[in-house]
Amino acid sequence: MGLKRVLTLRTVIATSAGLTLASSSFVAAVQVAGFLAGDTAWLAILTGGLLCLGAASCFSELNARLPSATGIRLYFSRAFNDRLALTVSLLYMAVVMGVVGAESYVLASVLSSALPAVPPLVWIVAMYLVVTGMNIRGIKIAGTFQDLITYGLMGSLVVLAFIALARVDFHLTAPLAPGGALAFINAVAVGVFLFVGFEWVTPLAEEVTHSRLVSRGMLLAVGLLSVVYALFTVAMTASCPREALVASSAPQMVFARTVLGPAGVFWMAVLSLAASITTFNAGLISVSRFIYASAREYVLPPVFSRLSMRFFTPWVAILTVFAAGVTISLVVLFTHRYLVLVNLAAAMESVVYALAGLAVIRLRQKEPQAECPYRVKGGVFIPALTSLVFAVLAVAVMFTDFYVSLYLLAGFVILWWYVHQVVPALKSKYQPRRPARRRRPVAEPADAGCKKT
Amino acid sequence: MASHAEITASLLAFQEGYNKNERLKIMNRDWDRVVLVQASDIPSQHTLELQNGELSVREGAPPRADLTVIADSETLADLFYGDITPTEPYMNGTLKIIGSEDDIVRLDFISLMIWGE
Repeated sequence: MGLKRVLTLRTVIATSAGLTLASSSFVAAVQVAGFLAGDTAWLAILTGGLLCLGAASCFSELNARLPSATGIRLYFSRAFNDRLALTVSLLYMAVVMGVVGAESYVLASVLSSALPAVPPLVWIVAMYLVVTGMNIRGIKIAGTFQDLITYGLMGSLVVLAFIALARVDFHLTAPLAPGGALAFINAVAVGVFLFVGFEWVTPLAEEVTHSRLVSRGMLLAVGLLSVVYALFTVAMTASCPREALVASSAPQMVFARTVLGPAGVFWMAVLSLAASITTFNAGLISVSRFIYASAREYVLPPVFSRLSMRFFTPWVAILTVFAAGVTISLVVLFTHRYLVLVNLAAAMESVVYALAGLAVIRLRQKEPQAECPYRVKGGVFIPALTSLVFAVLAVAVMFTDFYVSLYLLAGFVILWWYVHQVVPALKSKYQPRRPARRRRPVAEPADAGCKKT
Repeated sequence: MASHAEITASLLAFQEGYNKNERLKIMNRDWDRVVLVQASDIPSQHTLELQNGELSVREGAPPRADLTVIADSETLADLFYGDITPTEPYMNGTLKIIGSEDDIVRLDFISLMIWGE
């Protein structure tokens, strides 16, 4: 007996890296460089990548122990308790919506930079309409197309970086002197944003040729991304004035124009569009499916679990995400405060990674006999270190940006209240609809005698 | 712990509920899938096969499955009799469904259409 599993390691890497590579990644990369002196951005990015490898190992063990598309909702529920898991999952999904908002803003800036006649608002609405239409029709990006986008994108970034470095006759300046420990910690903390979403590939564990491919794919994706980001960021900061990069909401366009002129602008616009569409689509799918699943267990009102009778997709959840996404994007468009969302995502992701490390330790203690095909080597060292380091990074981001602390704290308090007050009320209102009497007979029936294979 | 015969009976009840619902059959006309239903605590395997909107149940595992439903025998029997919804055991990890996310949603929808909330 076997499953009709079709995805290979190549596609798992492409999916993990593709979900992570986004137009807003370049904004975060410039932020990382902005914290540091000399050409040390590569060091902070590689350090961030190395730390994310620890987190990826923890997610691999959690996924091996509890293979489920519900992800952190199930991991944290088993390791800690259901209410904490629910609160963190809801907050995480809200932050993912924020990332989608920031992404749409950055991509709109990129496209407006390439075609100034079309205002950013038009691009934003058009992108949401396209992706929402795809989601309602249940269209997903196929494995081969994902491979093409991700590897093409990474290859292009490396080529562009080498062209830029050759043009300026680049030599590393103070590559190991970041200008202080605090600056370095802050750079690494924001650098975590560069890897946001690599673990979204874990639901694919159910569709691969071998479940361990997901673990291997995640680790390889983080490693590849670290190298590509490090190289590209060094090339950007070596070719363009930092002030110009930091001041732009689409620094990759400033870089592309400086290096290759109008041809570079066109090339980068295409790359950014490819980078965004996968992240954007995956973000909207994740949030809408989460809303659907939450409504099915009465964490949200049941109206959100309505399915399209034609496409079998949760259309109410998808339209809700569309409305929320457009609203967030409009707020970002008018306030230009997209960096808060980038920092917010970095902080929230650090919190989730810290909890993932703790969850591994806790589940090993609570369920020592449970089947677990993959275990992080070295006992509790890597999970404990992951937990500690990401907790420090989360605090570092919150100290750097006051609004991040404020929004995260407010979000946590509101959702904690929701989970403790509103969810029990919703459950007691809707759960009595279950059948009053059991359909299953009490006595054991005789062999029903269906066909045998 | 439920027996293999109880799981068989629950699947037949599920099949009966499905076959009574003409609308559901029409909706699933283009959704041909093979589903393995496997108990985690007793040796019990069944195959649900959807072809051209018709649902059939067989004992034993199929050569290739699109979806695999794994849970303890009690959960499986209660689930296919419609005494519990799949959501709660799925969310707490008691019920594992291996397959694409879209197929999982479709299976949930079928269960909802047969047994209601």
